[in-house]
Amino acid sequence: MIQVQNLSKSFQNIQAVNDISFTIKKGEIFGLLGPNGAGKSTTLNMMSTILKSDAGTIHIDGKNSRENSKECKHLIGVVPQEISLYEDLSAYQNLLFWGDLYGIPSKILKERIHTTLELIGLLDRKKDLIKTYSGGMKRRINIAAALLHHPKILFMDEPTVGIDPQSRNHIFEVIETLNKQGMTIVYTTHYMEEVERLCDRIAIIDSGKIIAQGTQSQLKELVQTKESIQFEFNFLSESNVDQLRELLPYTVAQNENKLLVETTVQELSKVITTCNELQLSIKDIQLNKVNLEAIFLNLTGKQLRD
Amino acid sequence: MIFTILRKDLRLYFSDKKGILVTFLLPIIMITLFAFAFGGVGKKKSPPKPLKVLVVDKDATTASQELIAKLNSIKTIQLITSEEEKAVDLVRKGKNIAALIFEKGFSDAVAADTDLPIELKYDAARDFQMRIIHSVLKEGFKYHLGKVDVINNIKLKTTSLIKESSTKAHPGLVQAVGGTAIMMLLFSIAAIGGGLLDEKEAGTLKRLLIAPVKPLYILLAKMGTAMVVSILQLSAMFVFAWLAFGLPIFMDVFSLILLILCISFAVSSFGVFLVSTVKTRQQLQGMSTIIIILMSAIGGSMIPINMMPAFMQKIAIISVNYWGIEGFFDIFWRQLPLIAMLPKMGILLAIGLGMTLVSTVLFKKNIIAIE
Ligand SMILES: Nc1ncnc2c1ncn2[C@@H]1O[C@H](COP(=O)(O)OP(=O)(O)O)[C@@H](O)[C@H]1O
Ligand SMILES: [Mg+2]
Repeated sequence: MIQVQNLSKSFQNIQAVNDISFTIKKGEIFGLLGPNGAGKSTTLNMMSTILKSDAGTIHIDGKNSRENSKECKHLIGVVPQEISLYEDLSAYQNLLFWGDLYGIPSKILKERIHTTLELIGLLDRKKDLIKTYSGGMKRRINIAAALLHHPKILFMDEPTVGIDPQSRNHIFEVIETLNKQGMTIVYTTHYMEEVERLCDRIAIIDSGKIIAQGTQSQLKELVQTKESIQFEFNFLSESNVDQLRELLPYTVAQNENKLLVETTVQELSKVITTCNELQLSIKDIQLNKVNLEAIFLNLTGKQLRD
Repeated sequence: MIFTILRKDLRLYFSDKKGILVTFLLPIIMITLFAFAFGGVGKKKSPPKPLKVLVVDKDATTASQELIAKLNSIKTIQLITSEEEKAVDLVRKGKNIAALIFEKGFSDAVAADTDLPIELKYDAARDFQMRIIHSVLKEGFKYHLGKVDVINNIKLKTTSLIKESSTKAHPGLVQAVGGTAIMMLLFSIAAIGGGLLDEKEAGTLKRLLIAPVKPLYILLAKMGTAMVVSILQLSAMFVFAWLAFGLPIFMDVFSLILLILCISFAVSSFGVFLVSTVKTRQQLQGMSTIIIILMSAIGGSMIPINMMPAFMQKIAIISVNYWGIEGFFDIFWRQLPLIAMLPKMGILLAIGLGMTLVSTVLFKKNIIAIE
């Protein structure tokens, strides 16, 4: 559906996007994960045809986005990172305006506005001015405005920044509904939980470069760290540790009353049985799952968020 | 497409109550102040100066010369000798009110007690002064010619050289309305143009660019919005001046409408030009205020052009204000026919076209560049 090849863009002396390539398949939710300033918005701006690249090509549904920008514009819907709405107009007036720009006949447009407002759950507030909306509601209208021309592909640039968990969940449900209806979605974020929940495939971007891409499980294989369980005991003697090490060969580290065991959740019961046999009383158990955060840390040596 | 954006811009414009106050109420207050300041309102109390009357003596006899000397001793009028052709031309151009012409055979007619061949050619637009001159001259003839027989034969033939018209507007009023309206218009137009920068900051410009809309259309729609507001604002100002101060706006309403359209076009293009030269709202704020005040000062919006020194009057032509204000004077004061005003309207249109072209180039460079 989308092929991005060797795309680069620099601003003055900042290399915002540095020779990135990726392919997005029809019907998938593709995540672009990276910290602030990684180059996500710059990439999406180029894919939206409003920013010229320095090098590289973008093909959308087989069309070169620079040569066929008008056709591409009709294929894509874009949810900008900023809330790009007229605050002094109502939600309905905003949608009417943005839909009009795509040349949708008035009658059809009004029907679409109705169904879209229904989808995002703001039908009852349509007459209110945007400036009276909460952050989460504005974000939802910001999404609705990108849907009216029924794009095949939706670009979403950090669509949940700064909103409450409830609105965020609502937006996730909308995205999943749209995806089920066959829409291809490109989703950028710096929240790894979001890509873990939503995305089929993920590209991790940092300092303008893609440092890893693939499905979630493919990415997890990239890192050496395994899932581990940390036990805390009320009391742990030297001899207890030796006994445990014998019985559980994957014990990796011990620190006072804490013990780190490298294992999967499935083997948790076995560890607990062993502890019971040794009559050790467990104070706390902590599960360290391998997640994208850990992958990012592993690949860049940095936290995804500060 | 342009129309969709234009309609949205107008809707936004009129949803802002503060903007409407600035567009309509403030100019009305300013016009009222200036109208009083320039003396366009109320009774004129300047001491009566003698009314100048051109006199052409084609008879050139002692009788005619003596009579002219005697008439000149009347305080209310001042006779200026002239050639017929020149005198007629001066009256036509509105430089003089009337020309008194003594035809050949005047002295013979006096001697023979027949009808006197005298004609008074005048500018009907100056009805009020004309009536004074007419009655003063008639009295003068009666008194100085003295003979009863002759008096019966004094039938001062009058001919109007310029089309009859109700009243001519007071120049102070034309100055107050025209000058102020254009200056205030520039401010509202700069604000409308600034909307483009607001859209850039708010991100709606980005969404406009994402949509299949030609960038040029965004600029033209903004200019269209500015034009609609200009036309409304200028019309409101003139209707106000008519209602409040009796400015005769229906005297040549067609020319007035055309002139308002030309000014609106020039001013709107000036607005988008201003905006496309800057990158942020703050830059616009500073720059537009300075440019508008300067342009209004040299262009005659604050001080009437004819009160400026000659070199200032020459500089004035670089401003939109000058051409607009002169246009209003052509209509309300000089009362020129439309054809004579076309060059000024042409200049306004040319200014508008030039600025629009420059704006389209700058707009691409400064405003729509995302980087
Ligand atoms: N218009 C611009 N001018 C200069 N630098 C920019 C501009 N836009 C983005 N950048 C720089 O490019 C880099 C990538 O920015 P961006 O794509 O916005 O990152 P992200 O969306 O991942 O947070 C950053 O260093 C940013 O400062
Ligand atoms: Mg961004």
